[in-house]
Amino acid sequence: MKKNWLRIATLAMVCVACLCCVGTPAFAQQFPVTERTLKNGMKVLVQSDHSIPNVALYIFYRIGSRNERPGTTGLSHFFEHMMFNGAKKYGPGELDKVMEANGGSNNAYTSQNVTVYQDWFPRSAMPLIFDIEADRIQNLNFDPQKIDSERKVVASERRSSVDNDNGGLLDEQLWATAFIAHPYQWPVIGWMSDIEHWTIDDLKHHFAMGYSPSNATMVVVGDVTPEEIFQLCEKTIEPIPPHAPPPPVTTVEPPQLGERRLVVHKPAELPLLMIGYHVPQTNHPDFYATNILRTILFQGESSRMYQRLVDKDQIALDVSSSVEPAFDPTIAIIVAQPKQAVDPEKCEKAIYEELERVKLSTITDQELEKAKNIRLMEFYQQVRTINGRANTIGTYEVFTGDYKKLFDAAKNYAAVTKEDVQRVAKAYFGANNRTVASLLPANDEKAKP
Amino acid sequence: MSMSRKCSFFLIVLVFIFPAELSAQSIHIPPHEKVVFKNGLTVLLLEKHGVPIVNFAALVKTGAAADPPGEEGLASITAQLLRKGTQKRTAQQFAADADFTGGSVEAGAGADFSTVSGEFLNKDLTRGLDLFSDALMHPVFPQPEVDKLLAQSLDGVRAAKDEPRAVLGTYYDAYLFNGNGYGRPSDGDEISLTRIHRDAIVKFYESYYVPGNIILAVAGDFQSAETKKKLEDVFGQWPSKPITAVKIPVIPPVKGRKLLLVDKPDATQTYFALGNVATAAGDPDRVAIRVVNTVFGGSFTSLLNEALRVESGLTYGVQSAFDPRKAPGPFGIYSFTKNESTVPAIDMALQVLQKLHKQGITAEQLASAKSYIKGQFPPSIETSRQLAQIIAVHEFYGLDDSEINDLEARLDAVTPAIAMQVIQKHFPADNLVFTLIGKSSEIAPAVQKFAEKRDARVISEPGFWPPPAQK
Repeated sequence: MKKNWLRIATLAMVCVACLCCVGTPAFAQQFPVTERTLKNGMKVLVQSDHSIPNVALYIFYRIGSRNERPGTTGLSHFFEHMMFNGAKKYGPGELDKVMEANGGSNNAYTSQNVTVYQDWFPRSAMPLIFDIEADRIQNLNFDPQKIDSERKVVASERRSSVDNDNGGLLDEQLWATAFIAHPYQWPVIGWMSDIEHWTIDDLKHHFAMGYSPSNATMVVVGDVTPEEIFQLCEKTIEPIPPHAPPPPVTTVEPPQLGERRLVVHKPAELPLLMIGYHVPQTNHPDFYATNILRTILFQGESSRMYQRLVDKDQIALDVSSSVEPAFDPTIAIIVAQPKQAVDPEKCEKAIYEELERVKLSTITDQELEKAKNIRLMEFYQQVRTINGRANTIGTYEVFTGDYKKLFDAAKNYAAVTKEDVQRVAKAYFGANNRTVASLLPANDEKAKP
Repeated sequence: MSMSRKCSFFLIVLVFIFPAELSAQSIHIPPHEKVVFKNGLTVLLLEKHGVPIVNFAALVKTGAAADPPGEEGLASITAQLLRKGTQKRTAQQFAADADFTGGSVEAGAGADFSTVSGEFLNKDLTRGLDLFSDALMHPVFPQPEVDKLLAQSLDGVRAAKDEPRAVLGTYYDAYLFNGNGYGRPSDGDEISLTRIHRDAIVKFYESYYVPGNIILAVAGDFQSAETKKKLEDVFGQWPSKPITAVKIPVIPPVKGRKLLLVDKPDATQTYFALGNVATAAGDPDRVAIRVVNTVFGGSFTSLLNEALRVESGLTYGVQSAFDPRKAPGPFGIYSFTKNESTVPAIDMALQVLQKLHKQGITAEQLASAKSYIKGQFPPSIETSRQLAQIIAVHEFYGLDDSEINDLEARLDAVTPAIAMQVIQKHFPADNLVFTLIGKSSEIAPAVQKFAEKRDARVISEPGFWPPPAQK
């Protein structure tokens, strides 16, 4: 709630890079990236930046909840937690202890598509970090006791992010309804009953399936030279043998043939509305026009949706939209926070009217230019830190197949026309293609099963 | 939605820490310049090239602590209205002009001070300065915008109550300070927001948004000489005015134990905070406190996280934090756990606290915390946005560059004996204030044991603490 600077800075830190952040040619900031593919197939991307004596190291594994099956949903995320719980050289708890004692810290995140490991450390800790990463990639240990306690941690995480969070709960229901065939239908954190039932064999199988070096991309940004990173890789990572990558996800979500609706009744002060529209995967050419459309509709207080729902009709506190990077066709999500006692359907109606307006007549030149300026600023915000740059380079490499597209994105956005924006609005943002999820505040009686 | 391994508050630690780095190349804050204009405005300029962005950060030395009793939220509402209509722009025009640059003007209020910040590409410096100064110097507070924002803020408080972790700190501070001083919600509550009128907003603005009460930091990709002149042209005209002083009450730590249980009937997890009133900004022990707290509950390998998460799996995250302000601010241990393990989790947190008092910290833990703080520091002064904020906040609290430039040496000077003194002086032991948000029907009887004095509220009841009738 606080709009204090410090809090805003904090939010920026936890933000996961999205692909929606790019510039226009006149300002595109090129930064030289040196690449090498190790003999075991792992690609390593290095960008030197000596402005602070620190390093951000990201390892992207192309495995996420889309590679799971019913019964073991959430396994990728659970596995991510287990990657910190002991290998051969660094036993349970030692990874964090050694890393912090040497000035480093770490985290990791799992999405539907990828599992990403992050290390932030002073230059002096570099050899240690490579030693740790090599140890856990090849010699992860599965301690039954650690599995048990980490299972409880993940259950607590689920209680926080889903059960006691209206947004998390509705988001989960939305995906489960928008997808009937494709694995995007289950939550990254997993269903609670699956969390309770994973076995040690499930974990071992997951490791064997997803953690080949050839299934990973490493990005190193900061106070380093490419030569020293490649040398470290030759010593520590390159000897790790590759194996087959995860089997391809072959299920294709069939076209949606009509609107789907769901309602969650829950004790709450305020209702909540989410609408999901099927859109193509990240490497699709319409990616850029769709982002420009979403910027014009949702970004900033001058955006069409904010002006309509928050400012003019005063039926919502906030309205926004998001699309996560995805290997497969995904959904663009619109979230509206209706004011207290406002029927979410009222917000829906206003949103649909604004969408129709974009389809009926093209956006203005001014709006198009504004959207491109906003994208440009976002690009700089994304790449102004070594951490942001590591995440952005890796995200482009993994989701578009080539990190250099990061530098082309400027050109790709510049090429978007008003007609393109109108076309994608018509193609993807129609009634038959949407899933509507509403959370309605319920009294205690109604909330009971 | 992607899921992270660590509870987000460990990332907060990275941002709030202000120390120095590990290698021989020691970290310094980039040189910056201070100018005081004739009207009293303090201007700080810091050039940082590379990324073509310029950041403005105005710190108004008055915040929510100056809200009149019963009108909590006034400082925050005033700040947020700055860009909702000026002498030359309607709210809509302001938003359109700001968004067109891709930049932004944001404003808000914390307990001690209010902030107005602007971020623009350097090619838009002139336009950005015009927008930023327009909001700061020429707001007109149109009645319809006042009404709109108050209504939104009211629902904002209600929406926050749907998410226990968003309001745990507000309830805790309120109960800890018993609704006085820093115990008043800076964003207001369901009642106070209905009592705020335009007159009070205008008066707040006219009393406190005066040049002598403002620190303006500008950092980023610009040329100082040229920019200083531009700033003088724009802000030099702002007439000076006498400054209304605000006294922040110093509230002593709570004696004994008390516990507030906020009932959220659908909760499957209990969110809890416990601690007491602790230190003020600029406390001479601040570096040693940071080191000890890193060991105790400020990192992933901390004693608290080791016990409550790593060893027992009771929670996804636990942390301890000091929030030093002009007057002594709160210290708290914050965590959450499923309803059934509420008592074991709190018991365990208390045991870890007792152990800290009894055994202090080891030389090894001390060394690790120092390395961790040093190693994680440089990214906290990496961007012009961070630097503008830091130099403004330091100026406000009377801290100088040695805060950063000497920090490595100050960290090195902390010994186990000093750590022990700091534990005894600054970490509460037996006198503790507990705040829990959870499902009363399941946890109320069991948590009685933590305190003699107990209070209860229901989360849907308006306000935080004390209940409106007792105010």
